[in-house]
Amino acid sequence: MEAVVTSPVEEHGHGHEHDHEHHESFIRKYIFSTDHKTIAKQFLGSALFFLFVGGAMALILRWQLAYPGEALPLIGSMLSDRFVSDGVVQPGFFMQMTTMHASVMIFLVIIPLAVGFFGNLCIPLMIGTDDMAFPTLNMFSFWLVPPAAFFLMIGFFHESGAAAAGWTHYPPLSVIGGFGHYMWTIGVFFVGFSSILGAVNYIATVLNKRAPGMKMFDMPLTVWALFITAILAALGTPVLAADLAILFFDQFFHSSFFIPEGWVVADYPNNGGGQPILFQHLFWFYSHPAVYIMLLPVMGVASDVLATFSRKPVYGYKAMVFAIMAIAFLGFIVWGHHMFQSGMNPLLGTTFMLSTIVIAVPSAIKTFNWLGTLWRGSITFSVPMLHALAFVATFVVGGLSGIFMAAAPADVFIHDTYFIVAHIHYVLFGGSLFGIFAGIQYWYPKLFGRRQNETWGQIHFWLTFIFFNLTFFPMHLLGIGGHMRRISDPNVYDFLKPFAGMNEFITICAIILGFAQLILVVNMLMSFKLGKKASRNPWRANSLEWAAPSPPVGHGNFDKPLRSYRGPYEFSLPGKKRDYLPQWKKPAKSESAEESAKQAAGGNGQAAGGGGH
Amino acid sequence: MLDYFPENVSSVGIEHDELFALIYYICVGIFVLVNVVLLVFLIKYRRKKGVRAYHFHGDNLVEFVWTLLPTVLFAGLGFYSDDLWTRMKYQDKVPQADVEIDVMGQQFLWHIRYPGPDGVFGDKIPAEMSSSNPFGIDPKDPNGKDDLVVQNTFNLPINKMIVVHLSSVDVLHSFFLPNFRIKNDAVPGLWIDVWFDCFKAGKYELACAELCGSGHYAMRGVVNMQSEEDYNTWLQGKYDAVTASLQPENSTAEVASPAAESTEAAEEEIVVEESVTEEEAAH
Repeated sequence: MEAVVTSPVEEHGHGHEHDHEHHESFIRKYIFSTDHKTIAKQFLGSALFFLFVGGAMALILRWQLAYPGEALPLIGSMLSDRFVSDGVVQPGFFMQMTTMHASVMIFLVIIPLAVGFFGNLCIPLMIGTDDMAFPTLNMFSFWLVPPAAFFLMIGFFHESGAAAAGWTHYPPLSVIGGFGHYMWTIGVFFVGFSSILGAVNYIATVLNKRAPGMKMFDMPLTVWALFITAILAALGTPVLAADLAILFFDQFFHSSFFIPEGWVVADYPNNGGGQPILFQHLFWFYSHPAVYIMLLPVMGVASDVLATFSRKPVYGYKAMVFAIMAIAFLGFIVWGHHMFQSGMNPLLGTTFMLSTIVIAVPSAIKTFNWLGTLWRGSITFSVPMLHALAFVATFVVGGLSGIFMAAAPADVFIHDTYFIVAHIHYVLFGGSLFGIFAGIQYWYPKLFGRRQNETWGQIHFWLTFIFFNLTFFPMHLLGIGGHMRRISDPNVYDFLKPFAGMNEFITICAIILGFAQLILVVNMLMSFKLGKKASRNPWRANSLEWAAPSPPVGHGNFDKPLRSYRGPYEFSLPGKKRDYLPQWKKPAKSESAEESAKQAAGGNGQAAGGGGH
Repeated sequence: MLDYFPENVSSVGIEHDELFALIYYICVGIFVLVNVVLLVFLIKYRRKKGVRAYHFHGDNLVEFVWTLLPTVLFAGLGFYSDDLWTRMKYQDKVPQADVEIDVMGQQFLWHIRYPGPDGVFGDKIPAEMSSSNPFGIDPKDPNGKDDLVVQNTFNLPINKMIVVHLSSVDVLHSFFLPNFRIKNDAVPGLWIDVWFDCFKAGKYELACAELCGSGHYAMRGVVNMQSEEDYNTWLQGKYDAVTASLQPENSTAEVASPAAESTEAAEEEIVVEESVTEEEAAH
């Protein structure tokens, strides 16, 4: 009974609790901070910045595809002659754009957001602790991002341009590509270093720093997903590092790990004896799990958001945990499906086809459980919920289009076409980015202590959802038409000429989609000052982060000692006055006391939590 | 959606299109099912005053059922697909060839080698590979002297089993014949067999599908599928030219010349071919 009376919900005005016991310098507090919340904000800020950088690159290449040979509007005249001639995108620059768009979005936007931002924001708060296990390591893992970005981008300032061998960076092209390619290798190495440092920290934190009483199977699915993701990153990233190190030797010292005998390239000494496909094996051994590194955390976020706004426990919590584990495990034995047409022994194609098709099963389980969570719920269409629902709907498309390429003979035709581009964007934009938006909207009040403007949030969601689908769904059709990816002028081919109109349509939708993202950022920035002050638990959720003030207290997060008593999804318990029972609420002394509490609750009509938001 | 496929002209393409259609119908079915259920739930279970959500943590039997069903469905699909895969790609199941050619990718063109009037390919030696001799034809092998090498545009007969030995001289390329549903990477240092047949005469485009540099988009070839008589006439014309070029220098036998001269011949061929396609496009 006490639990209900002392509810902190609807309490306002925690504005004066930032009385720091020890004064920190500006640099320690905002730049080289070891506080996980500040590091989360840093990851968020840098990733949102690069989201626009990567988005601008996408629009440049979309312009060229829709209007080949026409000058870029606005920026065409500003770009160097190395990139454009009379404002028209040159084929080499187009390749730099495809390569760097993907590299930036994957290495500087989605991985930092899904792992860096959510990991830092959610893990300590949701397991009810003051900070990461290794705060300094945590700070270091963020500060590896700027050098990574520097090395990835520096090629633009060199006469030979940035990396242009595709984000997959296959040798021999990447070996002979020049300065930008060498720097790219170093840049991604830094990203990997950052991932590994983050991963060990997350694993240690989850295992050691859970609030008293919190069992592993009492953790919210977001934490579970981040924990498994960290294990994936810790096991997978070193392989990428090894691969890049070998590539680096080939690039700088002509070691020919990936260069075979009998190879005609001017100005490159060839010692022979290598095998280009080896690079692909090592690369995809990391980069396929990397897709799950970008996806699993947002699956957790979506589960939490769906439960909160359906006022229902997550359907099949343990099945969800086991499905995450199954995806992580299977994720390590499916990499060959990227290589069905690569010249890899086709016998391996059979093996990888079967393992890949089986990985659809845990994804299906998760989808069914999300539907089960909604079933007989009481659903509110808040902004985070809309993004989470969009995640479910579009992830289904991305998952199903994956079946086509998993079936190796069906992959023959669509491999390296826009079907693949459509698929990866349904997974990484429709999946990851909608999930990330859901999480940003959901935890914004906790992180910044303010509510965002709901109307603008809705406008941003609907514009994004509609134009996302209009941009990327037609790409399936292009792919079925045989439209290759990474070609700067489809009009070279007669069989692609009928698709000119579709390419133009996609580009127009992509431009609107890109500009719609400004709404997200402007809404976030404006709400820093103008947003309503957020209460501790604005969504009436159950997990431990909502026990902390909004924003959480400086170093330490929680203003009172915390203990976890139950799982994170006790929504709509029958016989209770309120439709949620947070993890930190002390249970009544015994079962009988619980019973009497229930009866008493019946008469206590004015408890605060039930109001509609 | 399936209408967007380019016209299919190969027997393996028929099987490919059938499998693709099967997966397509399965996936559309699942997509509609999931999204209809989602929409119904969103409408039916939207928040209403006085209605509380049902506190329920799930059911193991349900979990078991919806784990088993997709497992059976997808694993079944995998095993079903494997038959076509083994026949398409397994190197020990490549059919008996009626016509064999070598195809070599190079930034940014395709070299195609025919065995020449003697009907035998010259040996390939990696160390001999150069821009003028992309296949690395052994200068000491008499069989190699009459080998015919053309660029980008080449002819093949219909209703015959064609086996392509595929490789690359520099970076990765990918041999993509959209109308034949054929794609395989061309990998330097590796010879891969790709096979197809064709039941309809016509000119079909050959594309590079693996990023190979800034000229990747323009690495286009054309395969002219002809009736057997037309093909033989074309080939004989080419071979006569090769034989003629070998005649005067019989004794001094400059070894690299056949490939080089045929390259020149082929370049003329490309010019002709392109003007033809431009005319076609104009009509």
